Amino acid sequence: MTNVAVGLQGLTKRFGRTVAVDRVTLEIDQGEFFSLLGPSGSGKTTLLRIIAGLEDPDEGRIVIDGKDVTGLPPYARKVGMVFQDFLLFPHMTVGENILFPLRMQGAPRAERDERLGWIVKLLHIDGLEERFPHQLSGGQQQRVALARGLISRPALLLLDEPLANLDRELRKEMEVEVRRYQRELGIPFVYVTHNQEEALTMSDRIAVMRVGRFEQVAPKFEVYSDPATAFVASFVGHANRMRGRVAALEGGRATIDWDGARFAVPAPGGAGVGAAVDVFVKCERLTVLPSGSAAPAGANRLDGVLRDVIFKGQIADYIVARPSGVEIVVSEAASLPRAKAGDTVLITWAPDTGHGFPAEGA
Amino acid sequence: MAAPRRLFYRSETRFLLLGLPGVMFVVFFLLFPIVSVIVFSFWRTESYEIYADWNLDNYRTVLFEGTYLTFLWRSIVTAVVVTAACLVYAWPVAYFIAKYGGRYRLLLVLALAAPFFTGAVLRLSALQAIMGPIGVINMALGMFGLPAVEFLMFNKFASGIGIAYLYLPFMVTAIYLSLLNFNFQLLNVAKVNGARPWRAFLTVTWPLNWIGTAIGITLVFIPCLAESLTPTFLGGPSGKLYGSVLGLQFDQTGTWALGSAMGVLLFAVCCVVIAVMWWTIDLRRTGFTGAGR
Repeated sequence: MTNVAVGLQGLTKRFGRTVAVDRVTLEIDQGEFFSLLGPSGSGKTTLLRIIAGLEDPDEGRIVIDGKDVTGLPPYARKVGMVFQDFLLFPHMTVGENILFPLRMQGAPRAERDERLGWIVKLLHIDGLEERFPHQLSGGQQQRVALARGLISRPALLLLDEPLANLDRELRKEMEVEVRRYQRELGIPFVYVTHNQEEALTMSDRIAVMRVGRFEQVAPKFEVYSDPATAFVASFVGHANRMRGRVAALEGGRATIDWDGARFAVPAPGGAGVGAAVDVFVKCERLTVLPSGSAAPAGANRLDGVLRDVIFKGQIADYIVARPSGVEIVVSEAASLPRAKAGDTVLITWAPDTGHGFPAEGA
Repeated sequence: MAAPRRLFYRSETRFLLLGLPGVMFVVFFLLFPIVSVIVFSFWRTESYEIYADWNLDNYRTVLFEGTYLTFLWRSIVTAVVVTAACLVYAWPVAYFIAKYGGRYRLLLVLALAAPFFTGAVLRLSALQAIMGPIGVINMALGMFGLPAVEFLMFNKFASGIGIAYLYLPFMVTAIYLSLLNFNFQLLNVAKVNGARPWRAFLTVTWPLNWIGTAIGITLVFIPCLAESLTPTFLGGPSGKLYGSVLGLQFDQTGTWALGSAMGVLLFAVCCVVIAVMWWTIDLRRTGFTGAGR
């Protein structure tokens, strides 16, 4: 058996004239935590539903565990799925909900009891088996939904924004836990989310999706630190976008004319001198200094006036206005405690950080 | 603290004002008639006059003179068969409207109720004009030189079709209203978790819509038991039901006391039916979650 858990080949799905999923090809490995990240309407949920068998693709093939399941109905695919609004069966107890997949498979009673005991321990929901879903908290309901998805040890677990309905604190906690269950069980997870923090926290690899296509498929660190497209650069992490022109190209580095200033970035692929480019620099890669400070040699420098400081605890966002009124956001540990609105400041960053792309629609 | 509130705004006053119409309805249109029917059933009628002589003769007649119980039994069998037919027919109709009706849902449900825009007599006459000896079906058969179909004429079967036609909309509406509140996503959950469509229906759709279905069953079954109009139009001599015989006691033979005893018996049967339906409903097993979480 190969190491590939799921193979998608040229999947396409159209709804009327809109192409929801556009020729998607992908391989997900055994034991991998894979996230589909994208804004709403990017086709990530449709793709998940195609893998589950809840939608039929117009073109392409789906292979799960070496078996072509393209035409098979959902109940013959051996996948588990966790839905956004939990979707527990309201007329069944927690125990019956969790056991539902095994009951459908006709598993013997002894096996059912053993598996139930195992999964409720794993997910810390033991003692709730006799309750009904409406008697549970949101977090408990989510765990029950997870338990139902995992109890039959599916070849693959699909998760459709499972934490979106939980409050922030609980979500943070569940992110870590979901990741832990995935590691312990070694079942590949395909996780759909529009929340980049969730994707970054949990995944091994991330596919960033936009209008039915993959913009980038890469390990999460790479997606974050080395975005392949302007869309990925703006969607993952928090970045300043600066639209300028290439003034010079030299030794893998480009000098950009922007807002009456000049700075250097790694040369954008496919943009010659004079071309319009979008440059993205992550907010936390910038440093804000009191005006007149000495910047490290060779660093980019931009002047501005501190307009506001948004203190967030661990970090603060410094909002700096350029003379033209354009604003730049710098995220840093609160290192300028006495900085106040109206101070003139200096923004610096290393010329090898930041990513430029030929400007779209320019 | 606030000044004493005026009479109208006191919660007890509002409680009474709100409750009064319901209480009056129950007293005047339910309790009062039932009590009088029960009282009459122990009295005696003679030559179109009712006398307050307390006795059990009416019950003796109804229970031990063969024909009445035969009619009752026939009515019960008819009601069972008609209800089952309505159930089987109504489920797919209601399911289709609820799931695929989209913005035309209401219109489709109204279309089902369209026959109600006319009276029952008119509707039954229309059925007669379709199924009767000189009705559309037999005329058409005659044009092709085929013999007339007799099973559609003046018998139990014809009156069964008529009754089902009258009450089917109740069943469809009850199931449809239940399905409106049903989350069809749960079926996807069942399917992904290994349930074939039929299994998903039995384990998820059916139990979660049982209250609505039970209401539909009751709404069809009970009036079926008392049905008298349809057999008159479509039933012929062999299709006569308990309701028709009961009606005779009041509008023809003037034996109100005997009719009342028949009514009490019918009422008792209805109570049993409702009790059985109630017994089948376990609120926790229907997804009913009470007033709040």
